[in-house]
Amino acid sequence: MYPFNLLLTRGITTFFLILLTACSSVPYSKGNTEEPRVKLPADYVEESILNNYADPWEGFNRRMYYFNAKADEYVLLPVVAGYKAVTPDILEIGISNFFSNLGEIPVFFNALLQAKPTVAAETFGRFAVNTTVGVFGLFDVATPIGLDEQNEDFGQTLGVWGIDAGPYLVLPLLGPSSLRDATGSAIDMLAFQAIIDELGMEGDEEIFLSLLSSIDTRASLPFRYYSSGSAFEYERLKILYMKYREIQIAR
Amino acid sequence: MRFASIFIVLFLSACSSNNQLEPEVKANTCDIQYTRYQATVTGYCQEVAASLPTNIPTIEKKIELRSITSIPEVFWYSSKMKYSLVKQDKKSPLAFVIAGTGASYSSSKMISLQKTLFQQGYHVISLSSPTFSNFIINLDSTTDFPGVLSQDAKNLYGIMQKVYQQVVNEDNLETTTFSLTGYSLGGAHAAYISKLDEDEKIFNFEKVVLINPPVSLYNSATILDSYLDLRESGRDAASAMLDDIFSAFAQSYASQKSSAFSHSSIYALFKDAELSEEELELLIGASFRMSSSDMLFALDVSYNLGGFIYKNQNISRFESVTNAMHRSHIVTFGQYFEKVVVPWQQESNPDLTREDLIEQLGLKNIESYLRHSDKISLVTNADDIILAEGEVAYLQDVFGSRAKVFERGGHCGNMDRKSFVEYMNNQFQGAK
Repeated sequence: MYPFNLLLTRGITTFFLILLTACSSVPYSKGNTEEPRVKLPADYVEESILNNYADPWEGFNRRMYYFNAKADEYVLLPVVAGYKAVTPDILEIGISNFFSNLGEIPVFFNALLQAKPTVAAETFGRFAVNTTVGVFGLFDVATPIGLDEQNEDFGQTLGVWGIDAGPYLVLPLLGPSSLRDATGSAIDMLAFQAIIDELGMEGDEEIFLSLLSSIDTRASLPFRYYSSGSAFEYERLKILYMKYREIQIAR
Repeated sequence: MRFASIFIVLFLSACSSNNQLEPEVKANTCDIQYTRYQATVTGYCQEVAASLPTNIPTIEKKIELRSITSIPEVFWYSSKMKYSLVKQDKKSPLAFVIAGTGASYSSSKMISLQKTLFQQGYHVISLSSPTFSNFIINLDSTTDFPGVLSQDAKNLYGIMQKVYQQVVNEDNLETTTFSLTGYSLGGAHAAYISKLDEDEKIFNFEKVVLINPPVSLYNSATILDSYLDLRESGRDAASAMLDDIFSAFAQSYASQKSSAFSHSSIYALFKDAELSEEELELLIGASFRMSSSDMLFALDVSYNLGGFIYKNQNISRFESVTNAMHRSHIVTFGQYFEKVVVPWQQESNPDLTREDLIEQLGLKNIESYLRHSDKISLVTNADDIILAEGEVAYLQDVFGSRAKVFERGGHCGNMDRKSFVEYMNNQFQGAK
C-alpha cells in the first residue's frame, strides 16, 4: 500500500504528463478555410519581429495559463480583495515588509553563490538593520539609509553559472517560468522552508504563515490576466518574462 | 535575439506611467536630452508633473452589446464591453473620455485624464478606442472599419447613450451637463461625435476638447509604419539596433545601485542608454506595430475577413495563435489598408474610391463644422510626431484662437505635466 502523499504525487505527475503531451500547436485547420488576402513571404516566421524563444511545451503552457487565470479570478483575487479590506494599510505594509525581510536570506546566499560580495554585504546589512531596528522586518529602515534592495534567486544563480533558460514553462499558480527558473524556484522554496522550520513553528502556524505569504505576494503584483485585451498576451508575457530574466542575470 | 527588446522598454515605460506605485517620485523630472521622440516614449519628463490625486474612486463596468454566444471563442475573455466610471459624491457634470489608437479605457493616459477631470469636479466615463480589441469584438456590426471616423462616431455615440443609461440605473449617477474629450485618435472621434450630437441633441455637449488628434489618419499611420519598415530598410539592421538598445538597458540596469524599478531609475536607464533618434523611432514604430497587429487580428477574427489569417477558421481557446502573431507583425497598416480595407469597404459601397476612404479617415471632412463651433477646443504640440508637414499650421488655421499649441511634448508626452493639466483645468470648469 502506497502512502497517501506518494499516490498524490504520482497522480499530479500523471496529470502534468498528460497536459504536456497534449499538443495544441496545429497551425491551420483545413475544411472550408480560405487563403488570407494579404500574401506574405514564405519565411514570415523568420521575418516576424518576435520570433524567438521556442515554446515546445506550448500546449501545456497555454492550458496552464488559462487555469491560472481562472484560479486568479475565482480564488486568489477574491482572497486578496478580502485581505485588503480587513487589513489596515499600515499593517499590510508591515506584513509585506516582514516577508521581504525573510526573503533577504535567499538573496544573500544566492549573491554569495554568484560571487557578488557587495550585493551579499548590502543584503546582509539590510537584513540585520531591518530585523533589529525594523522590529523583525516590519519596518523597512534600511532603504532610507542607503542600503538598497537587491534581487537574486537560484534561477539567476544558475543563469550566472552559464545554464540556459531551457524551454518556457508556465507553472501552476506561480505563472511564467522556464525549466531552469522552475528548478531554481523549487530550491529557493526548500531553503525558505528550512528557514521557517528554524523559527520553530507549529504545523498550523506554518500553514498560516505560508498562506499569508502567498496572499501578500499576489497582492503586491499588479498583473491581471487578459487585461491587456490582446489576443497575443500569452506570447507577449512569455517574451517579457524571458527578457526580464536576461536583464536580471546580466546584473 | 530578435525584436523582443521592445517589450522590456514597453514594460519599463508602463511602469513609469503607473502613478499608483510611487506617487512621491512622480514629481521628479529627468535630465535626458530632449527630442520629440524621447518625449513620445518616456513622456515629457523634463517638465514637472502636475499634482494629481493618487487614487480616484473608479468603478469597473461591463455592458453587453452583442449576444455572448456570438463572441469568437479565441476572445472568450472579452465577452462584454468594458469601460469605467469615476463618480463624484454629488450631482456633477459628466465628461466622456475616448482613448487613443489601440488603447483601452484604462490606459495610463486615460487614467491621467480621469484624474485631471475628477479633480475638476467631473464624473468621468472612459471608453476604449474603437481600435481596441475588446471594442472591436463587442461591436455589433459587420461592415464598420475602425478609423472611418463617421462610422466610429455613430457607434461610440450609441454606446455612450447605453452606458450612460447603465450608470444612471446601476450607480445612481446624477448629472448636470455633458462634456467630451479624447486623445490621439480619440480626439478625432470626439470631433465627429460632437458634430453628430448637433443633430441628435442627446447630450448637447457643453465643452469638447481634442487632444493631439491626427489630421489625416492615413498620413499618421504612414509615418508610424515608416519607423519600422522592415522591407525597405532591412530587417537585420533593425534587429541589430534593437539588440543594441536592449544591451544598453541591461548594462545600465546592472550599474544601478538598487534592483528595484522606480521612475527615477527608469529615467536613468534612458539617460544612460543615450538612444539615437533612429532607435527611438524604431521603438515607437514597434509599439505601433504591436497595437495595430492586435487590432487587425481582432478585425480579422470578428468580421471573418481573411485578411492575414485564414477565413472561416474557428480558433479555440487553447489553440496557438503564435503563427497569426508572426503574420500580423510583418503586415504594415498600409498593406492591410490597400489589400483588405479598401476592397472590403467597396463590397458594401461600390462607388467608394480609395481616395474617398482616405478622406473619411481624417478631420478635413468636417472642417467647416470645426471652424465655426465655439464649444470645441484643440490642444496639441508643435512637435507632435503623428502630424505631417503643414498639419500643425492647418490645425491653427481651423481652430484659430481655440487652438493651444505647446512647443514641446511630442505625441501626447505631456498629458500629465503641469502646464497641460493647467490648460485642461481652464477648459473644464463645468463644476465651478
